Amino acid sequence: MNCEVCHLKELEVEHFEIREILRYSNSGDIYFFKHENESVDLVQCGDSELEKKIEEKIEQFIGWVEKHPNKKSQICLSFYEVKSKQATWFVNKTERLYWEQWYINLNVTQPPKAHSSKYQHPKVIVDPGESALEERSVRRTALEVSLREVLFQIIKFVNEKKDHIPSVPNHGGVSFPYEITIPSSSDSSFGMDMFKRMLQTGHPTMLS
Amino acid sequence: MASPRSNLHQESTNTEQIITEFFAKCLHIILESRSPCAYSRNYSGEQTQSSPSSSSSSSSSFRPRDKWLNLALRDCVVDVILVRGPVDCDPVRCSPRRGLVKNLSVEELFPNFWNSGHEECLLEEKSEKIIERWVIQYKNQKSRDFTSGSKRSGGTSSKSLYKKSIVLLRSLYLTVRLLPAHKLFRDLNKSGQIHTYTLSHRVSSSVEPFNRREEEEMRPFNRTEVDTSCGRLCLSVLYRPTLSDLSLEPSTPISPQFIPDYVGSPMTDPLKRFPSLPLAGMVAHGSPSSFPFSRRHSWGYDIYKASQPSVSPSPSPTYSDSRALLSNLGSHRLPPVSLPRHPHETPSSSNVSLCHQYNTSFDEYWPSPIFSPSSSPSPPTHIPSSHPSNALLRCDSAPVSIPAARFGRSPGLPNNHIVPLAPFSKSSRPSSSQTDNSRALLRPGNIQTSVPVRKFSLGKDEVGNLPGAKISSNSSPQISISRSSSRLSFLEAFDDSEFPCPFAVDYDDIRDMHTRYVIQLVAYFVCLMSISEWVSLAVPDPYIYSGFDREPSRYENASDNRQGVTEC
Repeated sequence: MNCEVCHLKELEVEHFEIREILRYSNSGDIYFFKHENESVDLVQCGDSELEKKIEEKIEQFIGWVEKHPNKKSQICLSFYEVKSKQATWFVNKTERLYWEQWYINLNVTQPPKAHSSKYQHPKVIVDPGESALEERSVRRTALEVSLREVLFQIIKFVNEKKDHIPSVPNHGGVSFPYEITIPSSSDSSFGMDMFKRMLQTGHPTMLS
Repeated sequence: MASPRSNLHQESTNTEQIITEFFAKCLHIILESRSPCAYSRNYSGEQTQSSPSSSSSSSSSFRPRDKWLNLALRDCVVDVILVRGPVDCDPVRCSPRRGLVKNLSVEELFPNFWNSGHEECLLEEKSEKIIERWVIQYKNQKSRDFTSGSKRSGGTSSKSLYKKSIVLLRSLYLTVRLLPAHKLFRDLNKSGQIHTYTLSHRVSSSVEPFNRREEEEMRPFNRTEVDTSCGRLCLSVLYRPTLSDLSLEPSTPISPQFIPDYVGSPMTDPLKRFPSLPLAGMVAHGSPSSFPFSRRHSWGYDIYKASQPSVSPSPSPTYSDSRALLSNLGSHRLPPVSLPRHPHETPSSSNVSLCHQYNTSFDEYWPSPIFSPSSSPSPPTHIPSSHPSNALLRCDSAPVSIPAARFGRSPGLPNNHIVPLAPFSKSSRPSSSQTDNSRALLRPGNIQTSVPVRKFSLGKDEVGNLPGAKISSNSSPQISISRSSSRLSFLEAFDDSEFPCPFAVDYDDIRDMHTRYVIQLVAYFVCLMSISEWVSLAVPDPYIYSGFDREPSRYENASDNRQGVTEC
């Protein structure tokens, strides 16, 4: 089984927008949310347990972002099949065969700070609120466009590549087994996680 | 042991069913996010939280089978059409108001579309523009060998088709919400906005292809194909990428109308008139400018209007309060408070000035109870428009307190020309002097002056003819003020007060002139207070005058909830 990998377009978001942007997935478990302030309607997957797990991961990611401000980050959403390996003595190992991976690239930016009063000339009347609002509006419009492009990218990928999707698991869940990998406290550890996954899944061309 | 032939037959049946359900589901998904009609009928709070997983084939088993179940399925084409113009196709969603909304941008695009002189033709002049075209096709591939039984990629054919259909439907579910037309759909479903357009749809098996110009405006998106054992299932969409050039901004809603100075004091602008408000019936009685009171209220009436009052189209809380007030007033339809509208008597400027003064002074004492000044506003009562007192009773419900003894004389009115604020029946024809005096007394300032009530010159018979004093059986019902002890004790409080404007209630039973005057005054102020305050004070029912035919619904509660009313 081939492991299809999709690198989504990078999204530039502010800290408070992370939670909203991260709630999506694909391949049998489209997962969105509806944000009233956005002109992009998204849909939830409808599974409370799934949503809860995703929320936990999002919180962990936000914690990481707070420790590493102004850094580009990547979240990996992987779908896999559980295969049992050849049982050895006293060991019954199972392995995960990843058949699809999505890399969500985020560039978390910090909001511009308001002008400090000490740098402000007393006779100059500055209204930072208005300019900040306008700037934020422009930025959110750009984010909306980018988000829409990413969603179209997902739809296109999903519609083009469906043969690699395994059969729907019989455990009754609404989605395939999945795994969300967020960068850990250190970048090197994050890279090691990715390396470990590669070892587990093997090179995509090696899989039949 | 099942033969391969039966297995193939079963496989074919399964595939057919999946395809059929797929068609139905696609249609459902598209219309759900494009058709305001379908949205309004099927909408529930869960719709927005619906999950594509809920739209799987398994949940569609309860859907009725229709012509799409035919094995030889034809193509399904769903055109999402933008309809501009007065919409009357959907009574659920659209309540068109002809000529109320004019969009200049629409006029620019369609110069012959809006015609101020032929607004009734707007319904017929609609502009339709296809903004999306969804095409669901199933192409039978007869060249495939059904007996081969060859295994398709991804597992058995029906299972693979089932899986891929799920993915396709989910992507469709998302796609319909990402395309620009969905924004129109959301705007249409927003309340409080009036749109000059709506979304319609057309489902057909074959349509005319787009012309060159239309094709240039449309853009394809994500044509998806799913191979089956019998053919190929295909889903594609052509959509209009930009809708901003269609000038589809919603207009300001009409129904919630803001009255800027609803609570303004008549002292500042008592005769303020809202030019946007038609003064129905006033034209027949003279120039609109001569009408004393045309301030708009939810419960206001045209003062000299004989017919139904011009009530605000949007009910206001005060209106409902008025109804509540009426509900406690008994089942009697009260005589009109208005001065008689004699044929020869047209609203003159003098009357206007009088009523002006009434309005000016009244609000100062609105709407507190007579004996205890309070600032709580009270709902207005329904008062016929033909009585100048309506001007007062219809005044803005600015909370005012009744001063102790303050009498402002109406200029031009002699002090001795004070008559009770007595309602006049339509048929009654009091003398002009009495009429003027009555109007003078309508001024709250006059009411509270120290002018002796004894100067009230209305006789019993005259009062009996006054609207509201006593209504004949064939006219509006009457509410009489009780002469209970509680009422008397209440009225006694006014014995020392100088309210020379009693209401004529039931003069046949009230012999004491002074008491009669006080009762009239009490009834006058009761009209201005909330029913809750009045009932709590065990004051007899106020005198509510209705000088014209009203909708019976306004009074039906009055008969049911009448409290504390006893016949004199």
